[in-house]
Amino acid sequence: MSQFIQSLVDALSAGAVLGLAALAIGLVFGVIRLANFATGEIITGAGYALVLTWDLGWYIAIPLSILVAVILSLLMELAVFSRMRKAGPATLLIASFGVSFLLQRVYELIFGNNVRSAPVASNLSQSVDVAGIRVQLLSVTAIVLSAILLVLLQLFLTRTTLGLQLKAAAADFTTARLVGIPASRVIGLSFVLSGVLAAAVAFVLTTQSGAVGPTFGVRITVLALVGAVIGGIDKISGALAGGFVVGFASSMLETWLPQGAGNFRDAFVYVLVIVVLLLKPSGLLVRGRGAVRT
Amino acid sequence: MSTPSVIKRSLGYRLAPGWSLVSLLLLVFAAVAVNSLFGKSNQIAMQYALVDLIIVVALQMFIGTSGVLSFGHVAFVAVGAWTVGLLTIDPTLKHSLLPNLFPFLYDIGSPWLLAVFIGGIVGGVLALVVSPALMRLNGLQAGIATFALLGLVNQVLTYWSSIGPESGQSMVGIPDVLNVWLTMLFAMGAIIVAWLFQRTRPARLLRAAREDGTAAAASGINVVTQRIITFTASGVIAGVAGGLFALTNRVVQASQLNIDLTFVTLAMLVLGGMLSLSGAVVGTLVFALVDLILVKFQAGVSIASHMMQIPQGTRPIVLGLILVLMLIFRSKGITGGREFVWPFRKNQLPGVPVSND
Amino acid sequence: MHSSRLIWERVAVSIDNSANSTVGLDVTGLTVAYNGVPAVRGIDIAVAGGEAVGLIGPNGAGKSSSLLAIMGATARTGSVRINGRDASGLVPEKVVRLGIALVPEGRHVFADLSVKDNLRLGGVARRTKAGAHEAMDKIMDSFPILREFAARPAGLLSGGQQQQLAIGRALMSDPDVLMLDEPSLGLSPTAVDTVFEALAAVRAAGKAVLVVEQRAEFTIAFCNRTYVLHDGVITLSLKPEDAENVQILTEAYFG
Repeated sequence: MSQFIQSLVDALSAGAVLGLAALAIGLVFGVIRLANFATGEIITGAGYALVLTWDLGWYIAIPLSILVAVILSLLMELAVFSRMRKAGPATLLIASFGVSFLLQRVYELIFGNNVRSAPVASNLSQSVDVAGIRVQLLSVTAIVLSAILLVLLQLFLTRTTLGLQLKAAAADFTTARLVGIPASRVIGLSFVLSGVLAAAVAFVLTTQSGAVGPTFGVRITVLALVGAVIGGIDKISGALAGGFVVGFASSMLETWLPQGAGNFRDAFVYVLVIVVLLLKPSGLLVRGRGAVRT
Repeated sequence: MSTPSVIKRSLGYRLAPGWSLVSLLLLVFAAVAVNSLFGKSNQIAMQYALVDLIIVVALQMFIGTSGVLSFGHVAFVAVGAWTVGLLTIDPTLKHSLLPNLFPFLYDIGSPWLLAVFIGGIVGGVLALVVSPALMRLNGLQAGIATFALLGLVNQVLTYWSSIGPESGQSMVGIPDVLNVWLTMLFAMGAIIVAWLFQRTRPARLLRAAREDGTAAAASGINVVTQRIITFTASGVIAGVAGGLFALTNRVVQASQLNIDLTFVTLAMLVLGGMLSLSGAVVGTLVFALVDLILVKFQAGVSIASHMMQIPQGTRPIVLGLILVLMLIFRSKGITGGREFVWPFRKNQLPGVPVSND
Repeated sequence: MHSSRLIWERVAVSIDNSANSTVGLDVTGLTVAYNGVPAVRGIDIAVAGGEAVGLIGPNGAGKSSSLLAIMGATARTGSVRINGRDASGLVPEKVVRLGIALVPEGRHVFADLSVKDNLRLGGVARRTKAGAHEAMDKIMDSFPILREFAARPAGLLSGGQQQQLAIGRALMSDPDVLMLDEPSLGLSPTAVDTVFEALAAVRAAGKAVLVVEQRAEFTIAFCNRTYVLHDGVITLSLKPEDAENVQILTEAYFG
């Protein structure tokens, strides 16, 4: 039983982190129909910032990693995606693929192929006793961190004019512009928020592994991307939900798959993705079959 | 059977005419011939390039005709490579390298040529099996679903030791039977097959459906069926390419046949132009040429008594840059494709509806 | 016929106000094409402050395209001046800030946002930030239903109520030119009356109103003049007196 609760906590944590990553992707997609595969490289960049500056103190390393993530995010938009406004989602995906590949090689060039390590937030990597059950402190931290970020984001989107503008643009970009909401402002805002979320993901992942390499963010981005799409990348809540489901399922599979089959948990996730897309192409959270708004 | 007029409209100038096929074949021959003057290492590089060419042709066959994105073709390449590996590795070697295979897999073996074609068939079968599910999807969903397929096949091949090596290990010991000229013949064969396929009914119907989905559906064209046929055919070609990859590389590892190869082949296709067969060929050859030049410069080239060298690792960066820049500035590729706009989206501001008034 | 006579009486009153000549919309040679297929072929429209101009015509005539093009949402050639200032090459959100607002076809309210938030967003493009609260108050006075449902998600409102919200949202930017694309679509006769009463008030306040409509007689009776758009070209110009003339109407739609 306690093992089940442990695995539940781990799965919630994994779901939370993947949900954040999927949300990072969904926020940008909602506004400009870009499923940004290069979000992984934003995560990697933030990760590098963390491990390389950790010895300067967490109060420097963490803000710096957020800054790096936001700058990377905005740079991508400025250099590449802003010039592709007329392209369709599939083309934009390919372009983001290209940016991702490019950045991975740049990281290789700058930092080398081997990982960079640092004991990032090492005091979080321990188990604690909560009501008689041993849980990973990091898992709990991840859940709490995600919850806080989600609440803050929700407050921002519903209580501030800027947030409202973003929400409106994500719902109906054309009408938002016709009403006078500046496209560049909301697009830039979505990239900034995306960067912040990516930095949060990087923090959890770096604490988990203690090491960052050029392909650090790739795996989680692949899962976050497929999660966002099956959740219904159209809506911000859809991306979040889809990411959470994929993260949760993946973690549960990892714990509960019988010996030998454990390696296949990603394979199961991919099968799940294909099945969901087959049954509900527009996403889990969308009612009915829906018009696929791509 | 009479051809509906909507299909007739998509004929003619959009297809690569006969002389275009010949010139493509000549181009490939010229590339290989010229390259062979420059030494053995170049020949090997060219062999890899030719394998890539077959993959790109397979990609173009599907993406260019249906207008639907596929990130999954390398899955068929992978199973093709796997098949050839299993069929051509010496049995004794198999027993020691791949200790947990299904028993029957130890006993099977075939001459390499047959193995390549069987690899193609296996690729085609995989494509056929997954296509009824995947071919209903469009746009981003299709990209993600095929991406999931790639991931799925990759995971299975990496970890299922009953059909291959232990987790993450490689199959080695594939015989050295190919040379660049034989590979060239295969590449030419693939181009011819793709060229012929463009003229078949499924291809024409798919192009019509891509042009005008409503009219096509009203004419009774079942788009999904045509896509299944095209996807399967391109899966066969990709499988053959996989087999040739195994014979070229002599070593097969799942990690070599994953996202990076997908990216490189997609980049070649985008560079050349997704919408035409010429684009597939031109894109790959140009890419290979640029790559070759970069390799030389990375090793150091003396020009007018100065040594010019670019740092290691520049090569993939340049290639990545090429893809991104092409997508920004000339998304139709070098060959420019056709007159109509990029098939995935009408030419407008994002989100602006196509007004009916 | 009953409702258009009502409006007709109000029209007689508001036309008396002298038109303000510096305020308004001035379009010349507007041409819009989609992928080479022309939708609008060089039309001229001028709407001065205190006037309402109608644009009617069959489906596919280019009415919506014209409005979208004026807002800069589609590529166009020709000259568009708002309050005398050139709108060439401007993106929609900048065009709005010249003093023009569009109530799009189908209303397009932000369904998940509350009525009040919808209105707030309309105020983002105000040229003077001050007065946003007062503007919202005034709009809610004109459309009491918006005050009643202020906290409700806009998607839960009926068609007619959403139309009022869409107009209110457009008015929040304090435009000098108000354009509406088929505001009566799907609305009950009472709802249509409310909408056109509000439009009469907007005109009486010295603004320029351009309204695209399917319902010919109504529009012709209300507007100072109405243009008929057919296959991308303006074929007729009608006055309110022509509203009862069946022959002219038939010619407008089928000529």
